[in-house]
Amino acid sequence: MSNIAKGVPFWRKEQFTPFILLSPAILTLMFVVLLPLLFSLYTSFTGYRLIRPESLYDWVGFRNYERIFSNKNFWIAFGRTILFLTIALNVEFILGLGIALLINRITWGQRTLRTFMMFPMMFSPILVGYQFKFIFNDNIGILNNALQALGLSDGAIPWLVDKYLAMFSILFAEIWMSTSVFAILLLAGLFAMPRDPLEAAKVDGCNAWQVFRHITLPFIMPFAFIAMTIRSLDVARAYDIVDVMTGGGPAGRTELLWTLIARVGYDNSRMGQANAMAYVSILLSILFTYYFFTKLLAARKYMGGAE
Amino acid sequence: MAEIALHNVVKNYGKLEVVHGINLNIEHNEFVVLVGPSGCGKSTTLRMIAGLEEISDGTISIGSEIVNELPPRKRNISMVFQNYALYPHMSVRDNLGFGLKIAKQAPDVIEERVREAADVLGLGDLMDRTPAELSGGQRQRVAMGRAIVRNPQAFLFDEPLSNLDAKLRVQMRTEIKKLHQKVKTTVVYVTHDQVEAMTLADRIVVMKDGYIEQVGSPMEVFNHPVNTFVASFIGSPPMNLIPGAIDGDNIRFSDGAHISVPTRLKDKVRNGQEIIFGFRPDDLTPVGHGINESGQQAPMKLVITLAELLGTETILYTQIAGQEILGKMFDPRDIHPGEELNMNLSLDKAHLFDGATGKSVRLD
Amino acid sequence: MNSALKKRIGNVLSWVMTFLLMLVICVPGLWVVLTAFRPNSEVLAKPAVWIPQNFNLNNFAKIFGFGAEQVAIPVPAYFTNSLIIALTSTAIALLIGMSGGYAFARYRFRFKNGLFLGLMLSRTVPGIALSLPVFMIWSRIGLIDAKLGLIIVYVALNVPFTVWLIDGFFRQIPKEMSEAAQVDGCTRWEAFWKIEFPLAKSGIASAGIFAFLTSWNEYALASQLTRSTDSKTLPVGLMDFTAQFTIDWAGMSAMAVIIIIPALVLTFLVQKHLIAGLTFGGVKG
Ligand SMILES: Nc1ncnc2c1ncn2[C@@H]1O[C@H](COP(=O)(O)OP(=O)(O)O)[C@@H](O)[C@H]1O
Ligand SMILES: [Mg+2]
Repeated sequence: MSNIAKGVPFWRKEQFTPFILLSPAILTLMFVVLLPLLFSLYTSFTGYRLIRPESLYDWVGFRNYERIFSNKNFWIAFGRTILFLTIALNVEFILGLGIALLINRITWGQRTLRTFMMFPMMFSPILVGYQFKFIFNDNIGILNNALQALGLSDGAIPWLVDKYLAMFSILFAEIWMSTSVFAILLLAGLFAMPRDPLEAAKVDGCNAWQVFRHITLPFIMPFAFIAMTIRSLDVARAYDIVDVMTGGGPAGRTELLWTLIARVGYDNSRMGQANAMAYVSILLSILFTYYFFTKLLAARKYMGGAE
Repeated sequence: MAEIALHNVVKNYGKLEVVHGINLNIEHNEFVVLVGPSGCGKSTTLRMIAGLEEISDGTISIGSEIVNELPPRKRNISMVFQNYALYPHMSVRDNLGFGLKIAKQAPDVIEERVREAADVLGLGDLMDRTPAELSGGQRQRVAMGRAIVRNPQAFLFDEPLSNLDAKLRVQMRTEIKKLHQKVKTTVVYVTHDQVEAMTLADRIVVMKDGYIEQVGSPMEVFNHPVNTFVASFIGSPPMNLIPGAIDGDNIRFSDGAHISVPTRLKDKVRNGQEIIFGFRPDDLTPVGHGINESGQQAPMKLVITLAELLGTETILYTQIAGQEILGKMFDPRDIHPGEELNMNLSLDKAHLFDGATGKSVRLD
Repeated sequence: MNSALKKRIGNVLSWVMTFLLMLVICVPGLWVVLTAFRPNSEVLAKPAVWIPQNFNLNNFAKIFGFGAEQVAIPVPAYFTNSLIIALTSTAIALLIGMSGGYAFARYRFRFKNGLFLGLMLSRTVPGIALSLPVFMIWSRIGLIDAKLGLIIVYVALNVPFTVWLIDGFFRQIPKEMSEAAQVDGCTRWEAFWKIEFPLAKSGIASAGIFAFLTSWNEYALASQLTRSTDSKTLPVGLMDFTAQFTIDWAGMSAMAVIIIIPALVLTFLVQKHLIAGLTFGGVKG
């Protein structure tokens, strides 16, 4: 019957309300993310260089993609990024799990410990980078100073210059910054864990390891995947750390996909090519997030309970 | 304080229709209970009356005014929710006074009315507590207090007792009844519990799958159910229902056993008609242990498989036509399983429903 | 070995581990803080000076432009920029996030899951990858090196997460609260501000703190979209030091302390709610 619609303008109707409420969010993201990404998609098919504005209309088809895919440096940076992420996330997970189990054991001062755990997460990545640049400095860094004072090393160890050591230092900074995401969420998982299954398993004759392996671990996996999902949203923050600590150097030895993009786009002002790389990095991030998100959904399902 | 009328009211969620054009007139100061199994559309109907759900089609009026387009606040009703929905950040006093404050009443008026409501419900000592500091029954009382404070045209209750334990539920049921007698107002009360419906209602509305099955006083609905659904839903233990067919003056069951057609229903059925024969456990009693032993009786010998002692009466489990059947024994003695009893089935109150439609043949 | 002894050893071991853990977490930051109060001569000394001899506020005076020594880096301007940009973008992101989070928590509508996923995916775009097109567009519409340019970007950066958190907090409030208030005479708008908002307030505040920190700490985008004292933020400003011929470690550390302090204070305030928000949104869906 039409008397219901009478006098009520369409935007006051119940079914439009959520869209009206969401429109600021949608519009902002369209303007700041979607639109620029479409633009950069277009740009990745042009030979656009910042110094030659007219080159924005210089359509080159897939040439940028062909170039980067046949470029050795790109593949090295790409491979290094994957390796970097794999090591970082795995170490963060294992350390985070260890820390969560440790803090879960402790009864006295637990809250304080938990608060302290959160600090690195809230640090600016640029600060984390600076902090470790300072500590790993071969000349005045506290690490080398300490090693020398203790007589463990006589020369200055080139933490940020040597190919492997530099990568190690960056990884260390990254892991220092992000392990707490895992620790805190896994700890929340341990807190939320019901006692009954644990006790049932003990009664059934499981030893401590078996209880952990078959009861505790499956229960807290969804929390690990939340942590992974959150982490995959901001893995690219590693750019800040690298930029501060080594700037991708020395001689491109710590170049990650993200620093490479900045170098090609801003320093070499090859915007078209940089945008093509950016697209690869975006796909990589989306893939990561999607992968962990589906894992999260699957883990939630077999954990049951949570809708 | 006002009559409520539903006229061809329909509710759909997208393509799914959950209330199918119901009609209902609720009188001034009447206590009406909507009862039915979970998911049958009771809450949806109540929420349409409250204005919390849009009405997809049809009209609802409160007093003489069609309220379809009025938001809840303009309908002058109040509602008690299943989980009470007390405002956790306000004291009991502020919870009670909230509606008046919104209506911009003077502080002394609010004070006065809140005190009155608190007196009616015995909340005097709890005024400065927050909802978290109250027990279930106390929360329930505050929720009702919040409803009566505003002197609304109608009270709406959505399963208000379902979160209470059994004992408290009975106690609060009585209080609601008393409250209604004190504060005369139109009440629409939703529950899935037929005992609540029977004890509280002036009129019961039995719903199923978005349709109204029957409207009537508790006694009407209990004694004259219009179909097998109402018959089995109202009353505890439920009515016995046995399928069979009319064979002359008898009803013949699947195993060949037969019983006479109740005299008063004889001309309502035709020979060969498939029917469902229904009677309440109260009407199947051992000889000498019934309430209603005059009138048309069908005597039979039955083997008792199980006896449930309830004190003043005992529920007897037995078999008729291969089906489990419940009877009752008033003024009981000990019964042993396997014991064979002479029993009477009182046919004066028995029911016949059409086998195909489930409708009471009385209505044809 | 008896079990009491085993337990004792386990306890001691876990305390030792915890101690080491805290050491690793705290020492780097503490060392930077310490350096902020020491003169460069001591920081650079060989062999290293372990126990600080001179302890003063000279580095802070220096970077804020007081005192005899001064640095060429306009820290006060960066500080003001950071504060304005972070506060404004947080306020806007919160308003947008509240409105969007409320929609997700309270309404059923078409494309709900798709929209939510889209919102989250927009957050996965790496800052540096996003900076390229934003840089190109902003330079055309004059938003490069403008606070407004960065504010807009940070709002977008914070909206998805704010929506996620606030959605979770609103979900924890039964919708009957709002309905009861509407029956009691409120409009939906009043019911929101009088009932739902006060109940979700602390959760919303922690979402705000989180957004503030994201903006306060952001570097990748800011480093490309800002140029001068008009808009440069503290993290970008920190890199000014590295551009100089010799690094002024003491001055840089003083600046680092200024960046750290809000993070420490706010983390302390927000920790409980943040964990609740994250796990709730994630596990209960
Ligand atoms: N918001 C909704 N969207 C879709 N279907 C709904 C919604 N709310 C209720 N329903 C459906 O409407 C039917 C009636 O619900 P309701 O009125 O709550 O039943 P009850 O009689 O138990 O109170 C149910 O089948 C339910 O699944
Ligand atoms: Mg219901």
